[in-house]
Amino acid sequence: VYKDYDACFSFSQTLHKLLAAQLISSDQDNTCTCSVATMKLDIVARSGRTLTTLDVNPDSTVAELKKKFHIFSRKYYPARQRLTLPVKPGEKRGTVLDDSKRLSDYGLTDGSKLEFKDLGPQIGYSTVFFWEYFGPLVVYPLFFFLPKYLYPHLKTPAQHHLVQKLAVGYWCLHYSKRIIETFTVHRFGHATMPIFNLFKNCAYYWGYAAFVSYFVNHPLYTPPNEKISMACLGLALVAQLGNLKSHLILANLRAPGEKDYKIPRGGLFNFVTCANYTFEIWGWLLFSLAVQSVPAYAFMITGALQMTQWAIAKHNRLRKTFDGKDGRPKYPRRWIIFPPFL
Amino acid sequence: MAGNLYLMAYNLALVLGWGYCLYLTIDTMILKHGSTADLWKVVELPLKVSQTAAVLEVLHSAIGLVRSPVGITGMQVASRLWVLWGIVNLVPEATTRGAVSLGGPSLQLQLGGLSLPLQLNLATLLAAWSITEVVRYSFFAVKEMLRTVPYPLLWLRYSTFIPLYPIGVASELSMAYLALPTIRKQHMWSLDMPNAYNFGFDYTIACYIIIATYLPGLPQLYFYMLSQRKKVLQGAAGGAGAGAESKKSR
Repeated sequence: VYKDYDACFSFSQTLHKLLAAQLISSDQDNTCTCSVATMKLDIVARSGRTLTTLDVNPDSTVAELKKKFHIFSRKYYPARQRLTLPVKPGEKRGTVLDDSKRLSDYGLTDGSKLEFKDLGPQIGYSTVFFWEYFGPLVVYPLFFFLPKYLYPHLKTPAQHHLVQKLAVGYWCLHYSKRIIETFTVHRFGHATMPIFNLFKNCAYYWGYAAFVSYFVNHPLYTPPNEKISMACLGLALVAQLGNLKSHLILANLRAPGEKDYKIPRGGLFNFVTCANYTFEIWGWLLFSLAVQSVPAYAFMITGALQMTQWAIAKHNRLRKTFDGKDGRPKYPRRWIIFPPFL
Repeated sequence: MAGNLYLMAYNLALVLGWGYCLYLTIDTMILKHGSTADLWKVVELPLKVSQTAAVLEVLHSAIGLVRSPVGITGMQVASRLWVLWGIVNLVPEATTRGAVSLGGPSLQLQLGGLSLPLQLNLATLLAAWSITEVVRYSFFAVKEMLRTVPYPLLWLRYSTFIPLYPIGVASELSMAYLALPTIRKQHMWSLDMPNAYNFGFDYTIACYIIIATYLPGLPQLYFYMLSQRKKVLQGAAGGAGAGAESKKSR
């Protein structure tokens, strides 16, 4: 009886299947030439309690380990699992295991412990992006097309001002662009996020869409100078093109399967780490200048604050990774997000 | 010194500020048989200083000096500032003189020789707020100084909320009840369209929305505090002395 058949079988696809099958059918000594020394890994809860011990091949990947854990506990599908190495002194959190790496890459041996955390119910990134962008695309035009219902106590003017028409056009164009990018351009670093984020993000986008739209499409809206508004929206469109180009550059940074950080280059990236955010902020700033409405400015400022938080983290991450030592390039001196301020 | 000198000073300063407010409340209402209007005359400034100083606590959380979550701290401070500046101080004729009666004029609280009508008013608000804050800031001051807290103070911190939280919330809502008719009639703190900002704001509606969001959170918070109390006081009684508090200095 070939004791390690299972281990060998799980090792890698058809080649081993054939090899193992051959060995079983032969009368020869039943040892496989492949490395089948399995090891036992303790999967431990945050409380310290051992949840289970899994028998794995050191050369198998973290993804395969997560599949095995999923068999042990049906509730925790792989996207919900976070596995970390034990915390080393000086660390805030143990190293998080990456799905694509092998267990041996982390120096795991027989008897090693891994800490498990439930990330909660997960939802796909593109699913969240779609719904959070779909809301504004629908909600904003409601106030433009249905004023009699949404401002029932007010008299509706016969015609919208030019600015209001251009604004609804720009807004819908922007969010259509975002949805198209979600499915054709963006490459997400993670496949999923906690499902709570869906509600949080949708509340933000849908809420602000209603807030901005209610006032810009208000029957008593006071339009600013038409020519200035048109110029601003025109420039905003240019900013959107810049943002699109930035997204294309980012999408092409990694070859399929690559997981490492790269230094973005080209376009505004030569000067600003998060050039995509720069263009996005300019877009909303110009939109606000075009419509002259406090809610629009509030929306821009809130978005800019969040993007700044992300940009600082990204900038520091890149500077830390590309420190110029051991043959690594040194990250060039660049603005973080919005010259000449940051 | 055991802890952060600045935090010690901050917490002690607020013990003094709120202690003074408490003293004025007892002195005016009980010792001098005064009215809530008399109380407002003397307590207005110390109250405004002590309560507004709490914005520093949001700063402390934000910079990590203190381990409280910024959002929660922010909401609690914002709620107090809204009641103080956006309700009581906005319509003082109504809030510092009025009262919401509980049970009619025949129901009185006998305190020594004094007959206090059972009602919610500025004095009950001040009493609830100042007792709570004196206990809270003493707790943090002592904790910062000694790293541990004597059981009596721990007990006060985790027990006085039981009557004071409902009384405080009820008093705050009473203040709003007294102020809102005037706020609505005079269209206070509101901006109408059309205007250059292309923005409108109705403060009366905002107040109703604030109250609506207040209400569901209250029972939740109260029961959370009760469960925290059980955990902390049992832990302290069981273990050697007090000090094992999971919440952090504010």
